[in-house]
Amino acid sequence: MVATVLRLRYRILGNSLARRPWQLVGFCFGILWALGILTSVVAGLVAVAVFQGLEAARATVVIGGSALVLGWVLGPVLIAGMDTTVDAEKLAPFPLSATQIMAALTATGVTGIPGIATSIAALATIALWVRWPLAAIAAVVCIVLGVLTCVVASRLVSALSSGLGGNRRGREFVGTIVLILLIMAGPIVTGTLALTSADVRDRIPRIADVLGWTPIGAVWAVPADVAAGQGVSAVARLLIAAATLAALWLLWARALRGAVTTPRQRAAKVARSGALGLFGRMPTGGVGATWARSLTAWLRDPRYLRQLLIVPLFPLLFAFTSGIDGFMFSSSAVLVALVLCLSGYTDVSYDGTAFASVLATGIRGRDDRLGRLLGAASIGIPLIVLLAVVTTAVGGRLEHLPGILGASLGLVLGGYGVSAVSSALLVTPVAAPGDSPFKSVPGQTFLTGLLVFVVMGACLVIGAPAIAFAVAGFITGAAVWGWVALVVGIVVGGGAAVLGVWLGGRTLDRTGPDLLQRIRAFPTT
Amino acid sequence: MTDTQMVPALQLAGLVKRFGDKTAVGGVDLVVPAGSFYGLVGPNGAGKTTTLSMATGLLRPDAGGAWVHGVDVWADPVRAKALIGNLADGVRLFDRLTGEQLITYTAMMFSVPRDQIAPRVADLIALMDLGEAAGTIVADYSAGMTKKVALACALVHAPRLLVLDEPFESVDPVSAANIEDVLRSYTSSGGTIIISSHSMDLVQRMCDHVAVIAAGRVLAAGTVDEVRAGESLQDRFLSLVGGRHTSEGPQWLRQS
Repeated sequence: MVATVLRLRYRILGNSLARRPWQLVGFCFGILWALGILTSVVAGLVAVAVFQGLEAARATVVIGGSALVLGWVLGPVLIAGMDTTVDAEKLAPFPLSATQIMAALTATGVTGIPGIATSIAALATIALWVRWPLAAIAAVVCIVLGVLTCVVASRLVSALSSGLGGNRRGREFVGTIVLILLIMAGPIVTGTLALTSADVRDRIPRIADVLGWTPIGAVWAVPADVAAGQGVSAVARLLIAAATLAALWLLWARALRGAVTTPRQRAAKVARSGALGLFGRMPTGGVGATWARSLTAWLRDPRYLRQLLIVPLFPLLFAFTSGIDGFMFSSSAVLVALVLCLSGYTDVSYDGTAFASVLATGIRGRDDRLGRLLGAASIGIPLIVLLAVVTTAVGGRLEHLPGILGASLGLVLGGYGVSAVSSALLVTPVAAPGDSPFKSVPGQTFLTGLLVFVVMGACLVIGAPAIAFAVAGFITGAAVWGWVALVVGIVVGGGAAVLGVWLGGRTLDRTGPDLLQRIRAFPTT
Repeated sequence: MTDTQMVPALQLAGLVKRFGDKTAVGGVDLVVPAGSFYGLVGPNGAGKTTTLSMATGLLRPDAGGAWVHGVDVWADPVRAKALIGNLADGVRLFDRLTGEQLITYTAMMFSVPRDQIAPRVADLIALMDLGEAAGTIVADYSAGMTKKVALACALVHAPRLLVLDEPFESVDPVSAANIEDVLRSYTSSGGTIIISSHSMDLVQRMCDHVAVIAAGRVLAAGTVDEVRAGESLQDRFLSLVGGRHTSEGPQWLRQS
């Protein structure tokens, strides 16, 4: 049965790669990347085994192993997205017990590219123990445990973030909370490391020792204990490792039971009738309707909210790394603007096939562009102004405020203009509304990934004049340059936005049906 | 007959659409007279949805054209689409909005004056029996309710031509009967409807014209009586389209 599911998974992968040559290119790059990493990992392990002693071997394998487990937990959520080719919900109609489903999903996890790479890297650690045969034997057992822990932990996070099996709202809520926690975890860890970095080299063995007693590191520390002849400690750590895996397995079983037996429960929350929200307030017509729809999405759709999470992220990151009186902290509005201006570069993709209902109304392209721009700006501009004021005030650099405002407004307004054109030309596969915003989406190709950099380059070119004046202000200390930057940012950015609406509108009038056809051709999961 | 009635509500000429090397629609000509209730029937994959998408400006044809009350859909889409109420099949709605918000939004997109929007939305919600669900977001609707709210969106700007792709799929019989009444009164007041359906009974009961389409071509078109030529529409359809099996099904499926 597990073999059938594995065959199915590779059949799906093969079919989708055969249909999309550019995805195949991306896939090959992924394999090359994994091979490169693997080669260096194995080389490093051999070097440690040959030239270093037991203590270094222990520190390497414990810290590396812990990072590996953490990577399996966080990586899919933060970077790669969940692999949902085969998931519990799709296996639910078949007469399989929960244990069989979990076995099948674990097997697909182990045999995917990350799973294979992890297994090879983990097996390479046996090289560290060639001088201690007993430890090498223990290592084999621990590697099996360790790799399984990685896969099961990752599956558990995926089951949790795609919802505790509960209703839609619960799922979206949990998903957003998990995302916030994970994003906040980054700066906190970076900050803590930065604070302690002074004598971090001396602390490595200590860190390894502590990690060796935690659920993520215990399994990797067992062979070193065996090699050192510390039998009691080895058994204790092995127990921790086994208990971790058992606990993860049970939690996963529980999460799955929820997901399989109560799929897509209907939410009961009902707005009172007549509660039209923004639709009751905006003027009638294509612009007002699109504005209301777009702003509603920015305020409620997790896929849009996810993009707003970077607003607090940058200042927090800089506060931790260089302190609130640092230059980076008070300039974080500019970086936030640079990221936010990209947020809508394929805005139509988020409509999904509902774009058909936009197209069916015969709305003029420029009205659609203007409505979307107003929706994004209604939330983006106030946030950026607020962020600029707060960070410069807290950082004690209020004299930089006009320059920073100018640079960030120039960027974000210019970005809205660029997005108005680019989103009339480009659509990319994105998570469907209501799906976990972390879900990896099939059909994202290497080529469309590269286009982000083209769009970002265009935003930077438009933002460049205001940025230049702002920088001149910081260097010379003359306040007048800051005010010039503010005026230039608003005028150039605003001009780009107007031009973008006009040009993007004309483009959309021509390309609308083609965009819809491309959206409909995306693989659905 | 006045001049405006001579112009067909919908005219399709030589529509062709290929997807890769597969021809989905291979030259469809169709004339839907103003004021008619026109049925479009055909087996799965016949090209009904593709044809209607090209007729309403959602899918660019490889060849041929479509005219709504004489307005070229592909040359002047803004003016043509304002005349059409479109219920497309197989596409999402903006389902994060409540039913009431979605209908209001659609009315705004068609620039219905603000003071007329609320009464129209209220009428449509009552008509579709969606009163209790008006404040629920559409993603939480059942399939039939989603169909009904989509139909309400197609009606809200009082279009001259309604293009309905599978409008009664999953709709409960009571709502279907209510909606049928409204559609009949709409055509009797001069509106035109073209619907695609798998239900021969429904088409025979409701429509005055019908076209049978299979493998991307029109096999027969005209008034219902012309097309069925004395047979029931079901029998006529089966003899036109072919492919009827007479087997009892595979042996292993039989329970005794």
